[in-house]
Amino acid sequence: MSQNPLRLLLDFDDRIQRDRDQPSAFLHRRDRRFALDCEQQGITPDASHWLAHMDRLSGPGGTVTAGSRELRLWYRVNGGFVAAGCLIGILTMLGLLFYDGGQRINITVILAFVLFQLLLALATTVQALVGWQPWRWLLKRLHRDHASPTRARLQPLLMARAAHAGGVAFGLAGLATLLVMVVVQDLAFGWSTTLDTAASGYHSLVNTLATPWSWLWPAAVPSLELVEATRFFRAASGTPGIDPSRWGQWWPFVVMLWLTWTVIPRVLLLILSQGLLRHRAARLLARHPGMQALLYRMETATLDTGSSHNDAADLPDTRTRSRPDLLPDTPIMICWAGAGEPELPQRLQAPDTRIFRAGGRATLAQDDEVLAQVGDQLAGQKAPAVIVVTRSWEPPTGELHDFLEAALERWPSGARVTLLPLASDPNRPPETHLVQPWLRFTERLAPGFASVALPPTGEPDPYLAGSVQP
Amino acid sequence: MTTAPVFAVVGHPNKGKSSVVATLSQNDAIAIALEPGTTRARQDYPLTVDGQKLYTLVDTPGFQRPRRVLQWLEAHSISASDHPETVRAFVLQHRGDERFVDECELLAPIVEGAGIIYVVDGSVPYSAEHEAEMTILRWTGRPSLALINSIGEDDYSDTWQSALGQFFQVVRKFDAVRAPFEQHLSLLRAFGQLEPDWEEPLERATRFLSEQRHQRRHQSAGLIAIALEDLMSYQEKRTLTLNQVAETSDTSLAETLRDRWYRHQRKREQTLRIDIEHLYQHQRIRRQEAELQWHSQHDLFSEDTRKHWAVSKRYLATAGFGAGAVGGAGIDAMTLGSSLGTGALVGGLIGAAGSYFYGDRLLLPALNIGPLKDGLKTASFGPVQDSQFGYVVLGRAVDHWWHISHRNHAGRDLLELEPADHHWLEQLDKTSRREIQRAFDRCRKQRPLTHQQRENLTTAIEQAMSAYDDWRLNRA
Repeated sequence: MSQNPLRLLLDFDDRIQRDRDQPSAFLHRRDRRFALDCEQQGITPDASHWLAHMDRLSGPGGTVTAGSRELRLWYRVNGGFVAAGCLIGILTMLGLLFYDGGQRINITVILAFVLFQLLLALATTVQALVGWQPWRWLLKRLHRDHASPTRARLQPLLMARAAHAGGVAFGLAGLATLLVMVVVQDLAFGWSTTLDTAASGYHSLVNTLATPWSWLWPAAVPSLELVEATRFFRAASGTPGIDPSRWGQWWPFVVMLWLTWTVIPRVLLLILSQGLLRHRAARLLARHPGMQALLYRMETATLDTGSSHNDAADLPDTRTRSRPDLLPDTPIMICWAGAGEPELPQRLQAPDTRIFRAGGRATLAQDDEVLAQVGDQLAGQKAPAVIVVTRSWEPPTGELHDFLEAALERWPSGARVTLLPLASDPNRPPETHLVQPWLRFTERLAPGFASVALPPTGEPDPYLAGSVQP
Repeated sequence: MTTAPVFAVVGHPNKGKSSVVATLSQNDAIAIALEPGTTRARQDYPLTVDGQKLYTLVDTPGFQRPRRVLQWLEAHSISASDHPETVRAFVLQHRGDERFVDECELLAPIVEGAGIIYVVDGSVPYSAEHEAEMTILRWTGRPSLALINSIGEDDYSDTWQSALGQFFQVVRKFDAVRAPFEQHLSLLRAFGQLEPDWEEPLERATRFLSEQRHQRRHQSAGLIAIALEDLMSYQEKRTLTLNQVAETSDTSLAETLRDRWYRHQRKREQTLRIDIEHLYQHQRIRRQEAELQWHSQHDLFSEDTRKHWAVSKRYLATAGFGAGAVGGAGIDAMTLGSSLGTGALVGGLIGAAGSYFYGDRLLLPALNIGPLKDGLKTASFGPVQDSQFGYVVLGRAVDHWWHISHRNHAGRDLLELEPADHHWLEQLDKTSRREIQRAFDRCRKQRPLTHQQRENLTTAIEQAMSAYDDWRLNRA
C-alpha cells in the first residue's frame, strides 16, 4: 500500500463511502477483528494497514484503487496543463521577442510581463488556500464534480498544483525559446517608456531586479552605460552613434530575469502546493469522520448478546377446538395442587360434596390414595363424574396429566372428569387466556374423558363464547 | 483461566423464563407465548466480548413432574452430602426418558455447573406447589437467585419474597417486559454476587453493555442527523421533452412530482425507523410494520402531526436569532470588529423576525420548471422551505428512538407511538437550538453540511434526546 498521503486519503474516503450502507454491527466486528489481529502480530493498526488488509481479503483483481483512479485523472489534468503551458510559453516568448529588424524589443514590456506572471502565480496559490475554485467548470466537464466533501476540499489544491505545473512548463518553454532565439537571431533589446524617467532610475530598477544573480553572473547585470545607451524613443527609427552590438547585450539579463522571476517562483510554488497537498491530505485523513469511527471500532470491544438464535416462528399450536362444558352434578371434587384453599366457595359445594386433595404439597402416595378412594365412590354409579378444581393461573403440568391418566385406568369405565379452573378470586370467572391452555390440555387426554367447565357465575361468560376457534 | 459463568433460567411452566432471557440477551426472536411448553429444549445465549464469553444464559423448559423427581431423589439419597450427586445421577439415568425430558433439559446445565435463576410470577398468589421444584434446586447445591417477574397486574411479590427467601440466596424483583435498562445491569451484577469468581466477568459485561448503550444513543443521533439532512434537502426532479411539456399541464406535473416527493419522504422516514430498530437489535418490529401506525394514523404530512410536533413561534424566533446572528457576524468580521457586533445583532434580528413571521406557515416546496436546454426541460419539486417540517421529523424520530431504546426484547406488543406535545424541545439549550436551525437552513438551500456541521448537528440531536428523556421522566 502506497504511503502517499493523498492516495491513502482518497482510497480511505472511497472505502468509507462504500461502507455507508453496511450495518454498524458488521463494521464493528470486521474492524475490531482486524485490530485484534494486528495486536497479535505486534503491529500498530493504521489506515494504510487497514486498507491493505481490506484489499488483500477481497483478493486479486482489485488493484486499481479509487485513489489511483482519481490520481490518474489528476495526472491527465496536470499533463494537459503542462502541454498547454509549453505551447503558450513558446508562443508568448516568440511574441515578446517579435523583432522585425527596425524596432527594438522593449525590456519594459518584458518586465511588465514577468510581473504579471508573478502575480498570476501568487493569485493561484492564494485561491487554493482560500478554497476558491475558478476551474470548477473544467471539473464539471470531466464529470468529477460530484465528489465527496473530502475530495471537494482537496480540489482547490489539486487545481493549484496543476496550474503551477503548467506555469513551470510555460516558464521553461519560454526560456528555451529565448535561448534559441538568442542563438539564431540577432536580437536588439532596448528600453522605452512614456514616463519621464531618467536612465539612472531605470538602472536602479533593473539592478534591484538583478540582485539575486549579481554575484553569480555579473555580466547579466546591465551597467548604467548600457542602460543609458539603449534607451530608444517612439519616433526615432534608430539611434545613431551607438555600437549595434550593444543592443544585444541585454540578453543575459533577460534570461536571468525570466529564470529568476518567472520559472523559479513557479517551481517553488509547485513544491509548496505539493507540500500543502500532502499536509492537507494527512490532516483530512486524521480528521476524517470515517477515521474517528474506524478508530472507535478498532478500540472498542465487540459485544454479542447471543441474539442470533431465532425460534420466534416456532410457537405451539394454540388453536382450541373444545368449548367449556357444563358443570356436572356430582358430589365428588378433587382440589388439585392447593386449589380452593383455604376454602371452596359455598356455591360450589352441596351438603353431600366430598372433597379430596391431591397434587401440590401432597405426596404421590397420597395422590394414589385419592385415586383409590374416588374409584370406590364412583363404582356402581350410572354416570360417574368427578370435578377437578385447579388454579387457573398455574398451567396444567405433566403431574396432572399423569394423575388423570392413572384415573382413566383405575376408575370405572365411562367415568368423566371436569376440570374447573378457578381465578385467584374464586367468585370471579377466570381470565380467558388462562382458560385456553386448560381446554387444550383436555384435548390431549383420551377423547371424551375430560372437559373444562367454568365456575357458575349466573351469567354466561361473553369472552369464552367468542374466543373458541373452529 | 476461569470458565465463564453459566446461568440456567428455570421455573414452573409459563412464568416468563423466556421473557427474562429475551430481555437480558437483547433477543426479540425468542419464542414467547402464553402457553405452557413453548420452550421445549434448552437454548444457550452467550454474551461474548471480542469472541470471549463473559457469561451464558440458558433458557430451559419448565418443571413438569417435580414431585416424581423429588421422590426419586429421596429414594436414592442417604444424607444431605450426596444430594448434588443424586441429582446428577437422576439426569444421567433419565436422559431420553419421555416423562422427564423437561426436567433433564433444565437440570442438565445445573449439574454441569450453572448458577440457578429461578423465575416466578409475582402477579399471582404464592403456591406451595412450587416447593418441590425449589427443593430439587436446593439439592443441586448450586448458587441460586430467585426472580419475581410480574406478568399480570396484581402484586403478590411480598408473599413470594418471604417464601423464596427460604430457598434462595438472593431474591430480586424484575419485570422482564418493563424493567428499565439500569435494572438489567443491576440484575447482572446480582448474578455476579452469587459466587466470587463470577463477579469480575459480570462486572465487565455490565461495563461493556453500558458502553454499548451509550454508543447506540450516539449512533441513533447520527442516523437521525443524516435522515434530517436527506429529508430537508430532497428534491424531486423530472426531465421532460418538449412534447411532454406540451402535453402535461403544470398542475398535473406539480401533482405528480408532489406525490413522488411525499412518497420518498415517507419512505426515508421509514428507513430511519428500521435503522434505529436494528441498531437496538429489534429485528422483528419490522414484521409488524403493516400494523405499525403513528397513533390515530398520524401521517408525516398531516396537519395533526404538525400540530403535535412543530415548535412554537417563540422557539423558532430564538433558534432563528442564533442562526441569523452567525450570518451577521460575517459583517463584523469584514469590518474587523469596528461595527461593534451590530452585524450579529442585525443578522440575528432578521433571522428571528423571519422565523417568527413565517415559522407557522406550511411552506411546502413549489414546482419549478427550468429553462429549455438541449430540447429538454427540467421540472423540480423541493426542497422543503419550511423549517417546521424539520422539527416535525426530528420530533417523531426522537419519539420513536425513545420508545425503541426503552423497549425490552421480551415485549411482543405492537409499537404504539402516541404523539407528544412540543414542550419537550423548549428544554433544549440555546447552542443546540442554533445548531439545529442552522443545519435546517443549510439543507433548505441544498448546501451540504460539512463534517464538522454534521457532527455539531449530531451532538445537538443528542441533547434533544436528553431533553426528551427528561421531559418523559417528569411527565410520568
